[in-house]
Amino acid sequence: MAKVAVVGAGMTKFVRRAQETGRELSWQAAKMALDSAGLTLKDVDAVVIGSAPDAFDGVHMKGEYLADGSGAWRKPCIRNFVGGATGVFAPIQGWYHIASGQFDTVLVVCEEKMSSCHPHPQGAFITIFDHTTERPLGPNLLWIFALEMNRYMTVHGITKEEIALVAVKNKKNALDHPCAQLGEELTVEDVLNSEVLAWPVNRLDVSPASDGAAAVVMCAEHVAKRVSDKPVWVEGVGWHLDTAYWTNRDLYYPRYVEYAARMAYEMAGIKEPRKEIHIVEPYDPFDYKELHHLEGLLLCERGGAARLTADGVTQRDGDLPVCPSGGLLGVGNPIAAAGLMKVCELFWQLRGEAGKRQVPGTPRRGLAQAWGDLMQVGTVIILGR
Amino acid sequence: MREKLTNPEHVRTWPGSIPVEYVYTAGVAGEAYLRAIKERGRLAASACLGCGTKYLPPRLYCERCFEKTGEPRDVEARGTVETFTVAHRDLEGRQLEPPVVYAFVRIDGTAGGLVHRLGEVDPGDVHIGLEVEAVFLPPAQRTGSILDIAHFRPVRHRPAAT
Repeated sequence: MAKVAVVGAGMTKFVRRAQETGRELSWQAAKMALDSAGLTLKDVDAVVIGSAPDAFDGVHMKGEYLADGSGAWRKPCIRNFVGGATGVFAPIQGWYHIASGQFDTVLVVCEEKMSSCHPHPQGAFITIFDHTTERPLGPNLLWIFALEMNRYMTVHGITKEEIALVAVKNKKNALDHPCAQLGEELTVEDVLNSEVLAWPVNRLDVSPASDGAAAVVMCAEHVAKRVSDKPVWVEGVGWHLDTAYWTNRDLYYPRYVEYAARMAYEMAGIKEPRKEIHIVEPYDPFDYKELHHLEGLLLCERGGAARLTADGVTQRDGDLPVCPSGGLLGVGNPIAAAGLMKVCELFWQLRGEAGKRQVPGTPRRGLAQAWGDLMQVGTVIILGR
Repeated sequence: MREKLTNPEHVRTWPGSIPVEYVYTAGVAGEAYLRAIKERGRLAASACLGCGTKYLPPRLYCERCFEKTGEPRDVEARGTVETFTVAHRDLEGRQLEPPVVYAFVRIDGTAGGLVHRLGEVDPGDVHIGLEVEAVFLPPAQRTGSILDIAHFRPVRHRPAAT
């Protein structure tokens, strides 16, 4: 397989309500990514678009809708959608476009505009539940996470205080991100005292609904060496789907993340992830999910992620920086764009271009992960310099 | 099997809906377009600062070369029927009386145009190549929508002065 590099990245500000259309947001991110790589649309052979349910933007065939703003005019173009896991799957798709030898340069663009959906995007989520066994109850997406969080906390004896530390850390990290929606200096008490949405989930345990876009430029080795002094290489990719019957899984552990991670580690030749991964951007739409996913990624033992957090290991200046970007909790959560934002963050961190967010030392290898659908899809990408 | 049922209760069914509504922003370029229509009774186009392609409706960026476009500028709401249809049924399948002519109108001097209704013309007289102009609602009735254009109508060429 051909080696594949990331040579450019860009993103819009993440905001609650953007005036820009989804197409305009896509163009802003895509243009920034191309400019950062010193490339133009003429250099792009194919385009990959990632965007979550059409029901968020309120536009059917969103891939076609977003195509012109994503640079796909008269080019091969595909849109993928694997729920919340889309933002990390899109660069995986970009990777196999190039690794296959079919294309040399691919522009990967992810967009979500959730503010179009009224009264709240939760209304669009209801139809992801089974129409016969669950929808008659009027389920809200928050409930199912509350069920998972409770199971996770109870199995391991983890407290809400320990979990709240993740929200405090990520929202603080986001203060240093110029595109962040919710950077804030908070205390554990602030999180615990915020409104209960579905116990044990309080408002500050959750990422916001957001509008935004992110993009990366990926290319084959011979192009990367020509256009970039500091290419960041795709060392491993993995994706995995667990049963769609969430009632047939034990929610305390994300096995689909583990299998996706194992696939990526094997490709990257990683035997001891905790020692060989230097920076992590796990998917954190809820604070407990960061912990849950660190365990699924085999970066600590099951139930051990809360300890790492309490000990400061996951701080930006800790031994294993986790969500130095500020994550979804702090930067915001325009679903697909949020996942790709994590890949952009690795790109900037590994090149030493993350500004005030730069982790100390010289991280050589980073991992980004996203998860989606009814908690059953895991996607993982490992980048290294 | 379902098609043969006369009583849907013979198999258990659930009624369902997706309970969402949408509020769409017109966007940066779309805002300029709708303001030109509402405030000035004009159409607006934006030209690519790189290749010069003139977009109507205006766009923020050029899809061909990815450069930014210039500020949208007003253009005459006139053009040519590039293709048309005569609709006899509405969205619900009801008879339209009289039938409605929908045309794609290429706006003069631009690479774009818009789909709209034709009016003040007999459907039998519409043809590809027909020159048309927009008829705007009175200013007080405009809301900032493409429906502020009542319809397009044939341009009436004045007879040459003798």
